[in-house]
Amino acid sequence: MRQQKDHKTIFAIATAALISLALSAVSAVSCEAQTPQATPQVSARHKQAIATFEQRVKEYVALREGLEDKLPKLAEDSKPEQIEAHKVSFQNTVRTARAGAKQGDLFVPEIAAYIRLTIADEFKGRERQELRKKVLVEADTKAVALRVNYPYPESEELLDMPPTLLLRLPQLPKQVKYRLVGKNLLLVDRENGLIVDYMLNAVP
Amino acid sequence: MKRFVASVVTAAVLLFGGLAQETLGQSSPSRNLKGSTAVSAPVSVSLPMKEGSVRFAVIGDTGTGTKKQQEVADMMVRYKSAFPFEFVLMMGDNLYNGESAEDYKTKFEDVYRTLLDDNVKFYATLGNHDESNQRFYKYFNMNGEEYYRFTKGNVAFYSLNSNYMDKKQLKWLENELAKDTAQWKIAFFHHPPYSSGGKHGSDTALREVVEPLFLKYGVNAVFAGHEHFYERIKPQKGIYYFISGAGGKLRDGDVKENSPLTAKGFDKDMSFMILEVAGDELHFQVISRTGETVDSGVLVNQRKAKAMGASK
Repeated sequence: MRQQKDHKTIFAIATAALISLALSAVSAVSCEAQTPQATPQVSARHKQAIATFEQRVKEYVALREGLEDKLPKLAEDSKPEQIEAHKVSFQNTVRTARAGAKQGDLFVPEIAAYIRLTIADEFKGRERQELRKKVLVEADTKAVALRVNYPYPESEELLDMPPTLLLRLPQLPKQVKYRLVGKNLLLVDRENGLIVDYMLNAVP
Repeated sequence: MKRFVASVVTAAVLLFGGLAQETLGQSSPSRNLKGSTAVSAPVSVSLPMKEGSVRFAVIGDTGTGTKKQQEVADMMVRYKSAFPFEFVLMMGDNLYNGESAEDYKTKFEDVYRTLLDDNVKFYATLGNHDESNQRFYKYFNMNGEEYYRFTKGNVAFYSLNSNYMDKKQLKWLENELAKDTAQWKIAFFHHPPYSSGGKHGSDTALREVVEPLFLKYGVNAVFAGHEHFYERIKPQKGIYYFISGAGGKLRDGDVKENSPLTAKGFDKDMSFMILEVAGDELHFQVISRTGETVDSGVLVNQRKAKAMGASK
């Protein structure tokens, strides 16, 4: 026990010394460290495409908010049965309201082209290889069927969206999210899990 | 006196468990790939159990509903008798392969029933197998948010959603950190910024956006999962990083040999952590499914360490 205590003391002192050394280096680093910012060089044509896309996303959000308001509200301390029931009801009501929705309603060709360019620019060279490995090999999303108005299967993995890419893509309201499935980009409702729209071959 | 009480508690656990004392304290900075061979090692806590300290456990990648997840949970219960932790941080992948009401029951509630009944609170973060709706689940204490902050004593905890680190979340994080006066700031989320895992490895894109904020606002320690093993990373730019992602799954042998990042690795059995923040010290102990202590030690608050360095 004594020996253990000695080891711990030595470890604590050594750690403290190492950290103080590290901190002196860090102070210089942290002054320079900044959250990477998007460096958009967006053409007028692309600005128009982004505005159109954002407007269509807003319209979807307004629709689903109106529908969700009619459902019993989920509390912050819900039971699993309540969460499940809310999700199913929400899916059904949105699916009915968007019965005619089809692929490309939101990801129209202009915004799809812009997004492809953005992703290609974000991931160049070695980083692109890493992204391709991640989305095509590492992530198990093969069972996700690309169908508008159908849910992203809850049993399937969600590939984390590269944060540096998220900073460059058109910003979304909190009700929807981007998801990568293979080389394809999906727009998914955060709560009901429905695929709102998708675009093919987003990743080069 | 406290140490005496701790010894008595430990002795009582040993007595009732009918088990023999075993040497503890494996804090040497080396890689430990030795398997857990003991059927059930004795409960023996190396944390100081100081009065007023913040005591908690960490588990990750738990939601399988398997017998082995249950065995880890059972070991947590045994350790709680000797080290009464108040709450548990969950590193994500809380529910694998489905999120029906039954999944919540069989992969979480049934497994941790004893702890839940003992009023242990669980604070979850979302993994890549978790749906956003988990934020409404009462036992995950996420208050309907995908990312949130809470405090215990002198410690502020930040649960982040590393699946989707967008501009909004980064802004929220910066705003919260900027006004945070807590002595300790601990962040936890699913994807590890540093990792020696063969399958996944370091999430460098995530690191690129969160680490500058951690450095700027003095985050002390970071806990993650995703990799199904335990790893203590050598301090990176002064920050302590841990991976605890083997609470329900194991990726045997996945810690890369001779990784320059590893201070300690354990990838031969499932595991969980118990921790205690006492003043300027963060004490930790890592316990395998079978009760073997695979790592332990104490880390000093960086501000204190800096002061110690300056005074020499």
